[in-house]
Amino acid sequence: MPAKAKAHRIGLFVCHCGLNIAGTVDIPQVLDAFRDEPGVLVSVDYKYMCSEPGQELIRRKIAEEKLDGVVVAACSPTMHEATFRRNAESAGLNPYRVEIANIREQVSWVHAKDPDAATRKAIEVIRTIIEKVRYDEELLPFTLPVVRRALVIGGGIAGIQAALDIAAAGFPVLLVEREARLGGRMAQLSGTYFNFESAGDLLAQKLEALRARPEITVLTESEVESLNGYVGNFTVRIRRRGEDQPREESVGAIVVATGFDLYPLERLPEYGAGAVPDVISGLEMEAMLRPDGPTGGRILRPSDGRPPREVVFVQCAGSRDPQHAMPYCSKICCMYTAKQARLFRRQCPDGQAYVFYIDIRSGGKGAEEFVQAAMEEERVLYLRGKVSRIFRDGDKVMVWGADTLSGQQVEIAADLVVLATAVVPRQDARELAQRLRVGTDMHGFFNEAHPKLRPVESLTAGIYLAGAAQGPKDIPETLSQAGAAAAKVLSLFSRHELVQEPTIAWVDPELCSACQLCVPACPYEARRPHPWKPVVTVNAALCQGCGACAMVCPNKASKLRNYTPEQVLAMVDVLFAPAKAQEGT
Amino acid sequence: MERPARAPIAHALVIGAGIAGMQAALDIANSGYPVTLVEKLPSIGGRMAQLSETFPTLDCAQCILTPRTVEVGRHPNIHLITYAEVEDIQGEPGHFRARIRRRAAGVRWDICTGCGACIEKCPTRVPSDFDMGLGRRKAIYTLSPQAVPNKPVIDKEHCRYFTQGKCRVCEKVCPTGAIAYDQEDELLEIEAGAIILATGYELYDVTRLGEYGAGQVPDVISGLAFERLLSASGPTAGKIRRPSDGREPKEVVFVQCAGSRDPEKAMPYCSTICCMYTAKHAMLYRHRVPDGQAYVFYIDIRTAGRRYEEFLQRAVEEDRVLYLRGKVSRIFRDGEKVVVWGADTLSGQQVEIAADMVVLATAIVPRPETRRLAEMLGIEVDAHGFLREANPNLAPVSTCRPGVFIAGTAVGPRDIPETVAQASAAAAKVLSLFARWQLEPEVEYAGQS
Ligand SMILES: Cc1cc2nc3c(=O)[nH]c(=O)nc-3n(C[C@H](O)[C@H](O)[C@H](O)COP(=O)(O)OP(=O)(O)OC[C@H]3O[C@@H](n4cnc5c(N)ncnc54)[C@H](O)[C@@H]3O)c2cc1C
Ligand SMILES: Cc1cc2nc3c(=O)[nH]c(=O)nc-3n(C[C@H](O)[C@H](O)[C@H](O)COP(=O)(O)OP(=O)(O)OC[C@H]3O[C@@H](n4cnc5c(N)ncnc54)[C@H](O)[C@@H]3O)c2cc1C
Ligand code: SF4
Ligand code: SF4
Ligand code: SF4
Ligand code: SF4
Repeated sequence: MPAKAKAHRIGLFVCHCGLNIAGTVDIPQVLDAFRDEPGVLVSVDYKYMCSEPGQELIRRKIAEEKLDGVVVAACSPTMHEATFRRNAESAGLNPYRVEIANIREQVSWVHAKDPDAATRKAIEVIRTIIEKVRYDEELLPFTLPVVRRALVIGGGIAGIQAALDIAAAGFPVLLVEREARLGGRMAQLSGTYFNFESAGDLLAQKLEALRARPEITVLTESEVESLNGYVGNFTVRIRRRGEDQPREESVGAIVVATGFDLYPLERLPEYGAGAVPDVISGLEMEAMLRPDGPTGGRILRPSDGRPPREVVFVQCAGSRDPQHAMPYCSKICCMYTAKQARLFRRQCPDGQAYVFYIDIRSGGKGAEEFVQAAMEEERVLYLRGKVSRIFRDGDKVMVWGADTLSGQQVEIAADLVVLATAVVPRQDARELAQRLRVGTDMHGFFNEAHPKLRPVESLTAGIYLAGAAQGPKDIPETLSQAGAAAAKVLSLFSRHELVQEPTIAWVDPELCSACQLCVPACPYEARRPHPWKPVVTVNAALCQGCGACAMVCPNKASKLRNYTPEQVLAMVDVLFAPAKAQEGT
Repeated sequence: MERPARAPIAHALVIGAGIAGMQAALDIANSGYPVTLVEKLPSIGGRMAQLSETFPTLDCAQCILTPRTVEVGRHPNIHLITYAEVEDIQGEPGHFRARIRRRAAGVRWDICTGCGACIEKCPTRVPSDFDMGLGRRKAIYTLSPQAVPNKPVIDKEHCRYFTQGKCRVCEKVCPTGAIAYDQEDELLEIEAGAIILATGYELYDVTRLGEYGAGQVPDVISGLAFERLLSASGPTAGKIRRPSDGREPKEVVFVQCAGSRDPEKAMPYCSTICCMYTAKHAMLYRHRVPDGQAYVFYIDIRTAGRRYEEFLQRAVEEDRVLYLRGKVSRIFRDGEKVVVWGADTLSGQQVEIAADMVVLATAIVPRPETRRLAEMLGIEVDAHGFLREANPNLAPVSTCRPGVFIAGTAVGPRDIPETVAQASAAAAKVLSLFARWQLEPEVEYAGQS
């Protein structure tokens, strides 16, 4: 029954990954297990297979032994499959004859406490992958054209900067903003913390640059309704408020820059929020500090319009509170609180500002100095401790808290309380993520492809992330990230064509009965009945090789290249009869 | 301004091949433009190559770094010049000319295969800077087994042939005849349209922290040295051993803000990454030495941003790291122990810990060369020597000079993800310039928004 093996000269390369693998798995024993394996000509190990000497070792063995298949036993294929395939290709081997046996994430890391079992499992994992390689076909990737036009979703400072950087290279950009105006949160801010520059002026500079770019088309009061397609070739439907017909646009890349919301005040009842009018959020404070704001730049109490003399700032309102609110730290509020306290004191020289904090987080260049200046120049009083209750008492707002440094209870009769409420994802972020088929974390922040080295890519090719939509960040960090997202788009647009993986589904016309069960099963809308023949067809550009179609096909007509039923059966067989000599090799 | 007669050159010069310089070079090269990447050390990767595991995912640094270094090393659009420094830069945006001095390696890299025979047989051992003095290397050496390029250099200050006139062992064992003692420095001239500075950071010299015993007490080490102890490819193969007697320390005290946040005596700013890496160190120490105790002295714990606070909570709750809020006043040796005196500002009490080892989270400071390069290019640095942005709020990767961009820790302390994002942002500026030049070669290249 097994199909005829295609690879007969296989090389096995076992990586130690320093101690990550070799610290648990007995590598010599693993190598021993494959010494006499039919069809396996080489079995060698190396400390770091992904390093240049490791790769060189593989290339050399491919050439010397004329290998026609390679198994690398190492970390997860998401780490280095591409690296090893490219390497083998440069040595003349078809890259789709290279497979990874994951003996790190699935073996050494999870069985660190049982080295014997880990070693046995490593051998079994490798054995099955060798079986797979025997039947791997030599495949050729194909190419797809790239639409060199970008879509940016969200017109805050992140979206504006990404659009500017892409347009500066001469590519057209579509900037979609839900509100009537561009600017996002930055338009709501008074100043920035470095040098107290006016946020409005800085934003105006950017908006002017934006207007000077003929490549940028701005669509306000608009939202993305649906997305189809794939990297280089997306089709988006955008609906403008009040219009019946959505417009359809093709773009090659997408930057998601939808920003953040604030934790709702009403959900902090112990802070009187929502009930006491003179308990406000940091963003409301920004509005009062803005020269063009509702109070003309003057700080006035909402309840009676009088200027407050004693202001209490409460940090971490809704942040760093895994039991009741958000577990993470919102990163920006320590700094903007210091800024607001300083601005208040400058406006009210005989007033007093108190800040309740757990830790003051003013990391990086210039930030610590900024907070020090708040304490020394503006005499802002920092109190380390948690606020337990805030309530109204006549004209005053009472703040009860504990000063954990002196160990004493404090009670302040304030005129105004400003809560540094947590930065949270946009309410509809999850929905948008689903529409775009990108991931979010448990809170709703968009997930990057790798938290260290791929901070602006989503896991979906062609969709990039910028700004606070990905996690709390201030304006400079947002701008860096937006520029980085633009760089990814520009790299993509530097090509006219893209290479598409050939490991996708195909339909055997001999076996297909046109029952069409697979059509709704495909999550990528890649399958369609043939216009006149009684078979189903696959759109190769849309297919992601997920295999859902193969699962539902009752006729085994839908198959994945290099993941055929024959291959899977051979892999399972070898697991249950490891000693049996292999046929057909 | 008078316009140069020739079209601007769409070729980038990136100085410094840490993760910042590598990322910027890759983004530009992947868009089809040539890049010259200059690195002072014999191989690339910068500080990240010295790290063990990285917060908050605890990915092994080497595992995520090597694919990048390999990609840089083999990229057809990247001209990598290591063991080299930029001596002079002239010209203007679109037409910079840089003179690069490539130091004599004593080895002909064009024929060396990187077999390592010379290193194995070299009789001279010297303390390794890469291992922060905790391990030793040979007089002919590479920084690590995964080095890119994986070709050795001869340390002429220690090589017996250079100091005593005899030895030549490496020459004898080299199968390809690559050893060339008389090799001379090489001067290269390159032209570039735009420049990215990514020269990274140093650590505050611990010996200047006299009250912490650093420099005198061998078991007081820096955080970077602790990374080497944790690293599987480090001097102890990942085992925690204290420098003085090689024993496993059972009580380790971590001291944060060593040299940071101290306007009177050291640096006034916060180094922003040390709270996170200390939490990582304490956590990893507890994983390696389950019966050990880890103490951390802190002023504020700065684990700001997504996933970081949660990481800290794990260190406190799962790994039972003991955080003490307060300042350490003195660290000194007492027999086999390292005694730490401090104040716990929460309980108001004095604490004294007789520890086996102390790890100082020393401040991130700029490299002195960065200032020199800035002067050469006519761009500004701040009072400490970090590169200055055109505008700290609005233009984080541009400088006051068109065509010159900055990225990474040379601009200010930051962690890897922020460094990588910033590097890509600098690349975007270069890419838009280059693309513009191709569209409209006569366009003025000052306009960046
Ligand atoms: C009180 C306060 C004070 C601050 N002070 C400072 C400071 O002094 N200095 C500093 O550096 N930073 C400060 N910040 C942080 C700063 O506001 C952010 O860094 C910055 O606004 C993030 O920009 P963004 O573009 O990512 O997000 P946003 O500003 O939130 O912009 C996102 C945009 O996307 C739009 N959008 C959302 N969803 C959709 C959708 N589905 N379709 C289309 N459009 C959509 C929104 O309408 C908005 O215009 C402060 C923040 C707060 C809350
Ligand atoms: C103890 C410790 C632990 C850390 N742990 C983590 C962690 O877990 N996660 C995390 O995200 N971050 C961590 N970091 C931070 C991380 O190391 C930095 O964010 C990152 O390495 C910065 O990269 P860079 O490229 O900016 O600088 P560097 O890595 O310093 O690279 C700069 C490069 O430029 C070269 N160079 C300098 N001058 C010249 C010149 N004149 N000419 C040519 N080349 C030159 C240098 O040799 C070097 O290779 C840690 C830092 C320390 C100290
Ligand atoms: S191949 Fe994977 S497991 Fe091996 S060293 Fe590289 S990263 Fe580690
Ligand atoms: S940035 Fe400061 S105020 Fe905001 S959540 Fe973090 S520690 Fe609290
Ligand atoms: S022995 Fe020769 S070929 Fe081998 S690493 Fe040394 S210099 Fe290179
Ligand atoms: S990051 Fe933490 S340890 Fe480092 S200087 Fe800042 S507060 Fe101190």
